[in-house]
Amino acid sequence: MSEFHDNYPSYEHMAHHSEEEGKVTRKKLWRVFWYMLAITIFELIIGSLAPGNGWSGTLWLKLLFIGLTILKAGFIVMSFMHLGHEVKFFKMVVLIPYIVFMSYGIFIILDEGVYSAEEINRTKVDPILIQQQEKLRAGHGHHEAAPAEQGAEHNKEAHH
Amino acid sequence: MSHSTEIDSKTAWGGGESPFRISYGKMMMWFFLISDALTFGGLLVSYGFIRHKYADVWPKAENVFTHFPFVDKHLPLAYVGLMTFILIMSSVTMVLAVEAGHRNDKRKVIVWMFWTIVGGATFVGSQAWEWYHFIHGTAEGALRHVWDMETGKYVEKVVYGANMVVNEYGVPQFANYFFFITGFHGFHVFSGVIINLVIFLNVINNTYERRGHYEMVEKVGLYWHFVDLVWVFVFTFFYLL
Repeated sequence: MSEFHDNYPSYEHMAHHSEEEGKVTRKKLWRVFWYMLAITIFELIIGSLAPGNGWSGTLWLKLLFIGLTILKAGFIVMSFMHLGHEVKFFKMVVLIPYIVFMSYGIFIILDEGVYSAEEINRTKVDPILIQQQEKLRAGHGHHEAAPAEQGAEHNKEAHH
Repeated sequence: MSHSTEIDSKTAWGGGESPFRISYGKMMMWFFLISDALTFGGLLVSYGFIRHKYADVWPKAENVFTHFPFVDKHLPLAYVGLMTFILIMSSVTMVLAVEAGHRNDKRKVIVWMFWTIVGGATFVGSQAWEWYHFIHGTAEGALRHVWDMETGKYVEKVVYGANMVVNEYGVPQFANYFFFITGFHGFHVFSGVIINLVIFLNVINNTYERRGHYEMVEKVGLYWHFVDLVWVFVFTFFYLL
């Protein structure tokens, strides 16, 4: 084999597998699919139960969602993208820089972002919107539209 | 499989073969995906920052995405759940195409790649549908202060749907980030469908049969799984949390 690979090196061709190996691989892949489907359905059920419950928007619920997401991401990367079967050194080359950079990004946004929600650091939010949100939170949990009667006609005229 | 053997200095670093036991093309696809993942990571971190900043006026996804095609009912998050299912499903058909390629089973590669393309196109269409309803808004609309060009003042007006300036459901920032991140992802899906289509035609034209292996299917598969991977995060941060 040439030292300068213009052509595909031989380990490429060893990536082939037999009929029996294929059967085993397919079984594993379908199992991963069922896991991911179960997680997604679970997330959607929890997500649709959450509004109107005391635990909606709580920290543990958010962490549960993020944890399940990372679990799904792990399934995709390790199984579907085959990274789990590559050599260890390549796994590290892919994962370590990404994890380091993203951890730093999340850390710095949490650490430096604490001041951002203070009123002086926000662009002005429409006072009507703030009122609507307060009413929404005080009343029932549904999206309540603003009174439309006086404005609807006005808006149509403005469009023409 | 031989490519899972660990490397040691005697055999691997003498030159003549890849210490990663992986071809140049596949390795470069991985490096591209890392950089692309950093872009999406940066976008999502910035989304989290803005969302925290306007937490009190941030709309809840289950109040925004309530439509389902052909059903005249209030079904929060049902359609996006279906979209997620379609994308995960197309990821499975892609990996089955790659597996068939390892067995040089041309017919199966064609079948599974076909379903992958169908799934991808369905997802892009659903995304467009979701955008349409988000832009169109509800029948009632919501009252907002809107900048009036003629008078040079803010006037009270009922707005319908969302665009880059006003948003019926909450702060405009929600719409800005929604359009940018799902748009960026949707464009990735769209280009993925196109690339899949090219590879699909190559498979039909026996290009990889002649080459002796279906590695190109594997490379495009890596990209396609990445698109699915990003959606898993977008789904969580935009719709669930």
